[in-house]
Amino acid sequence: MNLAYKISLRNIAWKTFSLFLLIMAFFSVFLFLPILYVFKGALFVNGQFTFLYFTLMFQDAFYRESILNSVKIGIFATLLTSLISIPMALLMVRYDFPGKRILQGLLLVPLVMPPFVGAIGMKQLFARYGSVNLLLLRLNLIREPIDWFGGGFIGIIILEALHLYPYLYLNISAALANIDPTLEEQAENLGASGFRLFRTVTLPLMFPGYIAGAIIVFIWAFTDLGTPLIFEYRKALPPIIFSMVKDIWTNPMGYALTVFTLMISVSFVIAARRYAGGKSYEMLGRGHIAPRIRRITGWKTPLIYVLIILMVLAAMTPQISVILTSLAEQWFLTVLPTAYSLRYYEVAFTHEVTAVSIINSLKYSLLSTAIDVMLGILIGYLLARRTFPGRDILDAVAMLPLAIPGIVIAFGYVSVFTGTPLDPFYDPTILLIISYSVRRLPYTVRAAYAGFQQTSVSLEEASLSVGASQVRTLFSITIPLIMANVIAGGIMSFSAAMMEVSTSMILANREAFYPITKAIYSINLRLGDGPYVASALGIIGTIIVTSCLLAANRLLGKSMGELFRA
Amino acid sequence: MAVLVEVVLEDVTKTFGDVKAVDGISLNVNEGELFFLLGPSGCGKTTTLRLIAGFYKPDEGKILFDKELMNNVPPNKRNVGMVFQNYALWPHMTVYDNITYGLKVRGVPASLRVKKAKEVLRIVKMEKYATRYPNQLSGGQQQRIALARALVIEPDVLLLDEPLSNLDAKLRLETREEIKRIQKELGITTIYVTHDQNEALSMADRIAVMNEGRIEQIGTPRDIYNNPRNKFVAGFIGETNFIEGRLEDIIEEKELAVIKTVTGETIYAKIRGKNFSKGKKVFCSVRPERIRVLSSNLRKDKAETINLFSAKIQRLTYYGFAEHYILEAMNKEIKATNFSPRASNHKEGDDVYFTFDPNDVNVFQAD
Repeated sequence: MNLAYKISLRNIAWKTFSLFLLIMAFFSVFLFLPILYVFKGALFVNGQFTFLYFTLMFQDAFYRESILNSVKIGIFATLLTSLISIPMALLMVRYDFPGKRILQGLLLVPLVMPPFVGAIGMKQLFARYGSVNLLLLRLNLIREPIDWFGGGFIGIIILEALHLYPYLYLNISAALANIDPTLEEQAENLGASGFRLFRTVTLPLMFPGYIAGAIIVFIWAFTDLGTPLIFEYRKALPPIIFSMVKDIWTNPMGYALTVFTLMISVSFVIAARRYAGGKSYEMLGRGHIAPRIRRITGWKTPLIYVLIILMVLAAMTPQISVILTSLAEQWFLTVLPTAYSLRYYEVAFTHEVTAVSIINSLKYSLLSTAIDVMLGILIGYLLARRTFPGRDILDAVAMLPLAIPGIVIAFGYVSVFTGTPLDPFYDPTILLIISYSVRRLPYTVRAAYAGFQQTSVSLEEASLSVGASQVRTLFSITIPLIMANVIAGGIMSFSAAMMEVSTSMILANREAFYPITKAIYSINLRLGDGPYVASALGIIGTIIVTSCLLAANRLLGKSMGELFRA
Repeated sequence: MAVLVEVVLEDVTKTFGDVKAVDGISLNVNEGELFFLLGPSGCGKTTTLRLIAGFYKPDEGKILFDKELMNNVPPNKRNVGMVFQNYALWPHMTVYDNITYGLKVRGVPASLRVKKAKEVLRIVKMEKYATRYPNQLSGGQQQRIALARALVIEPDVLLLDEPLSNLDAKLRLETREEIKRIQKELGITTIYVTHDQNEALSMADRIAVMNEGRIEQIGTPRDIYNNPRNKFVAGFIGETNFIEGRLEDIIEEKELAVIKTVTGETIYAKIRGKNFSKGKKVFCSVRPERIRVLSSNLRKDKAETINLFSAKIQRLTYYGFAEHYILEAMNKEIKATNFSPRASNHKEGDDVYFTFDPNDVNVFQAD
């Protein structure tokens, strides 16, 4: 009897373990192998181990400057983002005022448009002879046009910050909302208040949440490829790597730069984890203590409105400028367009490259989201409900894509799969779908895992106890209960895939396979109406993403959200 | 009407990591019995219940339903109804869907499902709530639906895991009666886990008192209260006073043990067939309600008056139906309860005597 029991236990563990191995096989082929190839390409030249290309990289003044520029872009963008999002989060979480919900929604608008699309519109407004300079010249406020973008460097930082602050804002808001109000009340009870209270209690408690958001912002800004390309800013790592994709078989420098980019990203993540890791606090709070939300009264009211509305306006400038550009029939050396039309939308929907790109993006994103949802549920289930050797490894691996820049993955794919049936230069469909799903998998894994965590195991046990099988329990109890989470994670994955830039830029090399983002980049280069059509296409993509997010919000925010609260 | 099933555990052990949650327990639940597992938190009672339900597999030992080995039978094949502490009602299903889920799984035709659901809702007095969702029900109502869901599949064994712990005090009393009524009406073999001794004493046919993964004693409520087998059971069930001493002598013809306390007093206690060796350290357990407090002007003249000790009233709390004393005696605090306080007029600080019958003393040998 003992023996029979031991064998059956081994069987159960074996099923779980083989699932784990299957998932790891997927990651091995589509995450580890590409990274390995990048390292191999950088360190082995003609079968010889060498640091030569790293040495060359640091000896070359151009590369040195570019590396420094990229790191600077990452750091300054993170600082600017923090400067925007910390006060906004504090205001929004801690105070109540009429119109708060609308302003809160508007603050998230920048999420739906990637910064490089915004850059196209911003160039119309802030270029040397763009609207702003023209206006200032006309008003005789300046004599010479101002270089608002600082040769592109400042432009990139501003665009990144204006696009990325919602990530940080959401993270900080969640962290603030999660602070047990009694902790602050206890501090007040002991005599702390105002800034002292913030510095000694609130700030340390929200800091892990801040770091989690800040690291995403840094990696994004540091490795974003689209925005520097639009600003024609060549002295940064991503555009240099991009320009080297096509000759990776003759020049290993591309590999070396990619490895270096990866190392910087990963070391920032590790440093952040080290710093914040030991400081993540369990909130003890139960009970029903009302959160500390104050109504704003008196002279502070207009001040806060002005602050927030200015912020919202600034954040929406890229979007507004893109909309204007897409609608401008004529806009040359004037402050505002002289005539408006929908002509460029017509072009976007009919031109062979752009029209196909819309279909392509929908196809790629839907399929990559389907993979993410399935893998997310599976991995979330294994992590939350099973114990098996390698559980911690799976946990780490599933979150790893957050730390790995898209350009690194794409570069790796090119080097692994060129010449195979998945050759991106021939038909990148499968690689695009998989690269999207690998990059956005953490969203669905996290969402599903949270769903499993929030769903008491006894709900599943109750189903077993009345006679349902494991599989039936999974489909009739567990999945319906975590569906709200999974859909939310899936929508995030889908939206991100629709607007995925770096892997799209590198992997899609034939027009017939262009997704929207690459089509925007390519059509923007067209002389004459390029930027206008690109803007129109950008707006089309933005509308698709926005409607997805709104649908999800409606779906989850109302009926489903309430249904699943006990 | 359910088929009556006997549940037997033989030397069952379950270990989590280094912790022996259940350590070689054996017990026998008779057909149709309402059997309680009672013990402090962490004693292994819930683990035992989950072993019977099939959510855990024993590391060693056997679990038998009507002599059939269940060790490798998965939970969904055991035909066991379980009521969870948090009720575990599926929030995405109505009351009706919750209840009929187990019937659907068993392939019961729709018309019969309706009939059975109606019947079980009648039993738990929830006929009107079939279309509600769990979050539209109060705690007590949810508890009834959880019970109905477990009963409707006509389980061989009904398992209840602290089913009343999430209810308020008044509802708990009512629901005790309700569960007892339903259990007797249906005659299902039932195993009920609780840490609440009042629940166990007032409802159980028999109780197993558990501690640190082992069973300390199995018996009827009266048996366990009046004849606790060891110091743990005496201390855990009801209130008691422990008085430490040394066994001086045994008066065989009167079946009395003579115990000298550490402070020099002599206590006489019935030995009740237990084997003691002289000179060993022992504990005497005396329930507060067995102690009578007497005024100090009572003459202490009768030579054969035994178990009479002087004390000072340290605290006196009046409850109307009873009064509760804390006495200072034997260098410790002695609790005493008087359930007919009409005649007494003691005050805090009074010098008094207290006494108890040798039959009301339980003696345990110290380890």
